[in-house]
Amino acid sequence: MENSPSSSKFMRWFDPRYRQVGTWAFILNRVTAIGLTVYLVLHLFMLGKLAQGPEAYDSFIALAKTPLIKFGELLVVAAGILHGLNGIRITLNSFGVLVRYQKQIFIILLILSVTAIAYFAYFMFFLA
Amino acid sequence: MDGNISKPKVQEGVWLWLLKVLFGVAIAVLIAVHFIVNHLVADGGLLTYQDVINYYKIPGIAAMEIAFLIFVVIHALMGTRSIFLDLNPSEKMLKIINWGMLVLGVAAIAYGIWLAQVIAGR
Repeated sequence: MENSPSSSKFMRWFDPRYRQVGTWAFILNRVTAIGLTVYLVLHLFMLGKLAQGPEAYDSFIALAKTPLIKFGELLVVAAGILHGLNGIRITLNSFGVLVRYQKQIFIILLILSVTAIAYFAYFMFFLA
Repeated sequence: MDGNISKPKVQEGVWLWLLKVLFGVAIAVLIAVHFIVNHLVADGGLLTYQDVINYYKIPGIAAMEIAFLIFVVIHALMGTRSIFLDLNPSEKMLKIINWGMLVLGVAAIAYGIWLAQVIAGR
């Protein structure tokens, strides 16, 4: 079967050559999806500290203010922006809208994402 | 061109695919709401336990957060299922995956609703 899994195909995942824009868009969507899913699990567990009372929650927030965790949160924001904008493109394309311009739209949403992520980075590390 | 657009995978089913797509759009809207109310309506953000308790006293907040949770959990499970489908699971394996996702989804949503009720009640 053409679409059946094999170990040689698995190794090709890590070969960056010969990929087209659409493939990069797919990879970006999948990697951000996995990251956001992991974050969702962590987020739900973390919010459970609210049930344990003020000390548990406030001591977690103190940890969340450290630079390493803030950087992790920036990655979550970046993943959310990229996955969200790319998801809107995929949805429009799926219903036949702007299919012809999907590459251009992908490039534009990448530029928008980088701008938004830079703003969030500045806000989180210098203003907040 | 037709080969380039997103469509249901083999074994996915058109309704589940549509649910994944529509919930994705709903999440794009709700995440903006979630972010704006978390950071702007609650002045300075929700950085203490007391902030969160006060935040949940605002009418409609618990309902909004629970709706957001349900959309996100279902979308995340559908997306995870899509990844598993790319690995061509056998019928038997797919059945196990489906039941696992159902159990996880119900557990996550029940937990979220319970937690929101606990916080809203304080």
